[in-house]
Amino acid sequence: MQVHEWALVAFTILSQMSVGTFLVLGIVHFFARRRAGIEAAEQLSDIALLAIGPVIILAFVASLFHLGNPLNAYRAVASLGSSWLSREILSGILFAAVGGLFALMQWRKIGSETLRSVIAWIAALIGLFFVYAMAQVYMMRTVPTWNTWYTPASFFTTTFLLGAVAVGAAFVASYAYLGRKEPEEAAAQSELLRQTLYWIAIASIVMLGVEFVIIPAYLAFQYAGEASAIAALRALVGEYGTLFILRLVLVFVGAGLLAVALVRNTLKAGSERSLAGLAYAAFALVLVSEVTGRFLFYATYTRMGL
Amino acid sequence: MTTQYAFYFDSNACTGCKACQIACKDKYDLPVGQTWRKVYEVSGGGWEKVGETFQNNTFGYYISMGCNHCVQPICMEVCPAAAISKRDDGLVEINQDLCIGCRLCEWACPYGCPQYNDEIGRMGKCTGCDDKIENGEPPQCVSACPSRALDFAPIEVLRERYGDIGQSYKASEVYPLPDSNYTLPAFFIKPHKNAISIDGDAARIANTEEV
Repeated sequence: MQVHEWALVAFTILSQMSVGTFLVLGIVHFFARRRAGIEAAEQLSDIALLAIGPVIILAFVASLFHLGNPLNAYRAVASLGSSWLSREILSGILFAAVGGLFALMQWRKIGSETLRSVIAWIAALIGLFFVYAMAQVYMMRTVPTWNTWYTPASFFTTTFLLGAVAVGAAFVASYAYLGRKEPEEAAAQSELLRQTLYWIAIASIVMLGVEFVIIPAYLAFQYAGEASAIAALRALVGEYGTLFILRLVLVFVGAGLLAVALVRNTLKAGSERSLAGLAYAAFALVLVSEVTGRFLFYATYTRMGL
Repeated sequence: MTTQYAFYFDSNACTGCKACQIACKDKYDLPVGQTWRKVYEVSGGGWEKVGETFQNNTFGYYISMGCNHCVQPICMEVCPAAAISKRDDGLVEINQDLCIGCRLCEWACPYGCPQYNDEIGRMGKCTGCDDKIENGEPPQCVSACPSRALDFAPIEVLRERYGDIGQSYKASEVYPLPDSNYTLPAFFIKPHKNAISIDGDAARIANTEEV
């Protein structure tokens, strides 16, 4: 594994995290609005929304390190008719642009609420297509280990799981910030924060469940597959076995055990401090686990033939 | 497309000398680590107990492989920069001025053909020696082969020379070639007499450090 593949790990993880954060924020906003009104909902989600920008920009900067000839990078969208990589890059840029426009309008409260939510919907749909296109890049018919349902399934699981825990961490961070600046408003927000973290923790437990279903299903599926897919499977459980187990343990602790602790703590008032620690730790563990998982995805690449 | 140039390779004639590989490397002045034509050594077998005696069933053969200038080149399909194109004579070429060096073609090609040139950060591969073809000469690898195991010509010409060679090779007959349906390679092989019906468990590529 070389620099150019680490660049891909960074690009795919960071961009999936961006899309996931955007989508989870949208869902949270939708429910928070119904419960606590538009103002409280916006106070909760606006800072987190602004944090997506630097992450997606970092993702694209990382992608440049993958290229041998980055001066030609603009040509990456030259083959939309046949290349999924072109479609991936174009949809990624569009997601960043439309999502950025929405963040700007939301931040400065430009335009009507309806207009803003229409733009947010467009950005969300482009983001979903972006993750789909990212998976399609790797689903080449000559690479059986990647050319399975598992590639899009795992990319979308990563998207939603990382999105959920990132939003959780962003909320406790912005809550802490609010607490220092305007303690009274923060106190008013604490109920909404705890309710939101409760559902985020539930969502991450569900996504963990999905991951723990699709991973063994994929291993069994590969075992019955073509010779090069079996070679990839052997590398995953053999040469890279320790890392693979570490990745499973980390995501189990982060999205499972810590999320359960989060759920329990959100039921108690005045537990904001321990909530913050749990949310940060869950985010960190899930991030490390997903990075490791993506590393293994690239490291066990095998193709058919020579 | 008016014609489709194709390689023909007689695995029975090949002695594994790698003159083709070196002639190519020399003509294109390729750096260490890049070999546009590679000679794969496939071998297997061992001692087998037959009745009360042990018999030897070892075998070995070579496959010389450049770019197969596929009818459905997957390298061209996946290239985001439109840097790979298929010419009227069927040759698949990389325009290095357009290449972004993303290496997706390297991942996609089941013949290990497009290779990354670290010095210029772009991909390169077997060109089919288009400069020589246009002058009516054979490619460098073909003219370098001392046992005349390689040939390169439009498919119709190869059919006249070698008879009924089908649409492409049959993967089931030559380990470890992938099924030709994936990319429709313009490559014909006369399999080694020992290569026929060998499955992947019995045979392996023996010179992995070379290729």
